[in-house]
Amino acid sequence: MKKRTYIYRRFERFWHWSQVLLIFFLALTGFEIHSTYELFGFENAVNWHNIAAWAFLVLITFTIFWHFDSGEWKQYIPTTKYIMAQINYYIIGIFKGAPHPTHKTVYNKFNPLQRFTYLGLKLLVIPVQVVTGFLYMYYMYPENPIHLGGIEITALIHTFGAFVLIAFVIFHVYLTTTGETVLTSIKAMLTGWEVVDVDEEEEHVEHLKSAVKYSIAGYYRLDKNGNFLDVNEAWLKMYKCSDREQIIGKHYSVARREEDVKALDTIVSKVFEGEIIKAIPATRKCRDGSIGKHILSANPTYAGGDVTGMEGFIIDITDLDDESEHLHYAVKNSKAGYYRLNHKGYYEDVNDAWLKLYGFERDEIIGQHYSLSRTKEDLHKLDEMIAKVTSGKSISNMIATRKCKDGSTGKHIVSANPVYDKDVVVGMEGFILDIDSIKDEV
Amino acid sequence: MERTYITKGKFARVLMLFAVVLLPWLIAIFWVNKVSLEQKPVTVNIINYKADSLPSPVDHSAYEILQQDFTTPQQVTEACLSCHNKTGHDIMHTSHWKWSRPYVNENGDTVELGKKNIINNFCVGTDSNEPRCTSCHIGYGWKDKDFDFKAEMNIDCIICHDQTGTYKKFPVAAGYPVKEEKVFNGKKFLPPDYNKVAQNVGMPKRENCGSCHYYGGGGNNVKHGDIEKVLTNTTKEVDIHMGVDGENMSCTACHASDRHDIQGQLYSVSSYNQNRTTCEQCHTETPHENTIINQHANRVACQTCHIPTYAKAAPTKMTWDWSTAGRHNEDGSVTVEKDSNGVMTYHGKKGTFEWAKNVTPEYTWFNGNAEHYLIGDKVEDTTVPVQINTLLGDYGDLEAKIIPVKVHRGKQIYDPVNKTLIIPHLFGKDSTAYWKNFDWNKASITGMEAAGLPYSGEYSFVNTEMYWPLNHMVSSREESLKCIDCHSRDGRLDNLAGFYMPGRDRSVILDTIGVLFIILAFVGVVVHGALRYFSSSKK
Repeated sequence: MKKRTYIYRRFERFWHWSQVLLIFFLALTGFEIHSTYELFGFENAVNWHNIAAWAFLVLITFTIFWHFDSGEWKQYIPTTKYIMAQINYYIIGIFKGAPHPTHKTVYNKFNPLQRFTYLGLKLLVIPVQVVTGFLYMYYMYPENPIHLGGIEITALIHTFGAFVLIAFVIFHVYLTTTGETVLTSIKAMLTGWEVVDVDEEEEHVEHLKSAVKYSIAGYYRLDKNGNFLDVNEAWLKMYKCSDREQIIGKHYSVARREEDVKALDTIVSKVFEGEIIKAIPATRKCRDGSIGKHILSANPTYAGGDVTGMEGFIIDITDLDDESEHLHYAVKNSKAGYYRLNHKGYYEDVNDAWLKLYGFERDEIIGQHYSLSRTKEDLHKLDEMIAKVTSGKSISNMIATRKCKDGSTGKHIVSANPVYDKDVVVGMEGFILDIDSIKDEV
Repeated sequence: MERTYITKGKFARVLMLFAVVLLPWLIAIFWVNKVSLEQKPVTVNIINYKADSLPSPVDHSAYEILQQDFTTPQQVTEACLSCHNKTGHDIMHTSHWKWSRPYVNENGDTVELGKKNIINNFCVGTDSNEPRCTSCHIGYGWKDKDFDFKAEMNIDCIICHDQTGTYKKFPVAAGYPVKEEKVFNGKKFLPPDYNKVAQNVGMPKRENCGSCHYYGGGGNNVKHGDIEKVLTNTTKEVDIHMGVDGENMSCTACHASDRHDIQGQLYSVSSYNQNRTTCEQCHTETPHENTIINQHANRVACQTCHIPTYAKAAPTKMTWDWSTAGRHNEDGSVTVEKDSNGVMTYHGKKGTFEWAKNVTPEYTWFNGNAEHYLIGDKVEDTTVPVQINTLLGDYGDLEAKIIPVKVHRGKQIYDPVNKTLIIPHLFGKDSTAYWKNFDWNKASITGMEAAGLPYSGEYSFVNTEMYWPLNHMVSSREESLKCIDCHSRDGRLDNLAGFYMPGRDRSVILDTIGVLFIILAFVGVVVHGALRYFSSSKK
């Protein structure tokens, strides 16, 4: 599957094009210093070469941080997989109109040859140029503390590096023309957008990874002995820990009051036997001794068929009132209804679960005003809520009483948030979770 | 996670990206231009030179002792020393008097070396030729090796201190002025009015120093190349320091003295790495605004860039071939040849010369120490020029800097059996002096006897080289060397080996590989691209 994707981020493009200008200018002034031609005058060439060198160093420094911060450094991990196929493609396949042997995706932007080449530039050619360049600048006289005995070797290496970079630029610029069209790759590097393959599995895995990392739900993983192996930021926040080190390696009992430890013991032993806990409420003991409430899920982790530990998520419910302990039942049943109103309060969309709860057919409700869904006594509560949302606020959960088609009533938890189009609120949408049927069960 | 882009703003964003990339460049270019254009005038702390140039605070004409009728120059000296009664003692220790300075040789022994006993490749040596040579000695009567260097009465005070410009030593009278009117080389010499001269003394002026230093080698600018009579009244185009339209500095502004011991020496005859006159004493070690240029001062002397040419007014002698000397015209007179400019290119007494004006210096490493060919030293290899003096230092020597030099190339008389250079007896009215008898053999016997050295009876001529460091005729900043003068393939420092210099040096192998690499890359992509184009258009 192909999809127009935002593949080169803003800093990445800034870095790339700055580097283009800097390398071009460094080569231009550098070969004048090498007496290959006369252009700016030797003195200007030297001064400008040195200024450009400093600019390049600053750019490199920022870029190193960017690589680690964005995780993009992983794109440069070399691989030999498909490398022969890639070489064959450039030598033979490309003339026969064969497809590219590797697929460009957001998470795998570079083919194996690119990975090797770019890594070589990053770890070998550019560092060598920077180091020899600064030796050239500061140790050209033998009086300096590091006695180089002259700059001959330094200068020759630096010159050779320049030749390598120019050859690279020739290949690099040429290979940009091997995309979908001649200009595809250059356009992509200018705008950031390119039509690339989307690998469903990769997409899924990457999203899950970031979902766990950035989720507001806390994630945890225990080993077979019940000690913490990993937690995410949200988990640390809920437990009021400032540092991962404060919890990793500790037993789970530190996360509970004494009287609650037993309950957790039961859960853990169940999970270690292979059971999956979908959602149960729990009371945690934070690092500072304060108490919080959350809903907990847990499942065993496996390695080669054996249970090696357990992991799961926690969702904070401390701020909900007691009544909303029902929430977890709602989550359990997961018959959440979805609705969307326009800015005048008319239904634009609802889902099947919503229809089931209210007993309407879809045609009967779309285009109708929200007042239809409440008893007269409760209507003012909904009015207030809608007024809040239209002013830009979100409502995460609230108990409400609905009026169904047949006139009967039911209770649910409702969430609501504004729908925007270019900063203007054009409506509201949200979910409802039935808590009526659960009460009956209870 | 990513923000959705609105297609409409795309172009603006690309523009912004380039503005961010280009802006620092524009600022940098502006900054570089501004810095290189707006160079501030260099301010120099001039040591006391105005005070040194002021007229004497003492009116010597008021002293009774100077109002007597002097009949000999020694009487003037006596009068001077009657007040300046320690100065005679001070003079006795100066190189101007001794024509030598202490020099520690390889064995650690201190020997006296200088004009008095060092050979050059102009008129070779002083031994047996004293009356001619010592016309530039600050004394009276050094006519042979028996001169009494302890006789204070023989000091010539007025050659340096005369302010009237009328006092002159006769060129062939061992330092004495004439007693009655005489003519030398068509020039009239009158006996000095000692009374007037003695009453008009003061700090040495350019003319005083120049009366000897302009004319080394027997004529104007023969030896130095950068010190000649034009400096008495010159412009800053010739010498930025001495130009009367510029700083108008006297010799003594830089060559300050301490009890008559005058700062500075020239390594053509000196080897004494002390009490040198340097540019830095006024200009500091970092006078440039550009750090890179200041760093150059680590290994490059100021003179290298700031004396782009020498002999800017009168020509200087570049070569002197003694082997052709001795020719006479049919009428028996000595042959003299001049070129179209009136410059002497041949003289029967001296041989063949070459002169040059606005000369580009040669360059060498120099660490402040020099070695000299000492009389009696064996010359082992006559296929290369004998080095009359050797300026020591090389790239690996951290004290050494690159300096500009005039190299004077000579061909002079040599004893092939004893393998020594010969000091010939040139001057005199006796039967052996070469300039009288034109017999090299007789001249060699007398000359070598006077020098106390053996002479085999055989002679030939060998090539010699003598190095004259250049320090004067400094040019303005605008005329100084530019980077490219040295940092280029065939630049001025082409002959200095042992180090890598950007712009001058390269590895031909590496450059060839590099260029081939680029050509191959280029041809490769062009061929690949063409094949792609044709294979796709076929379909």
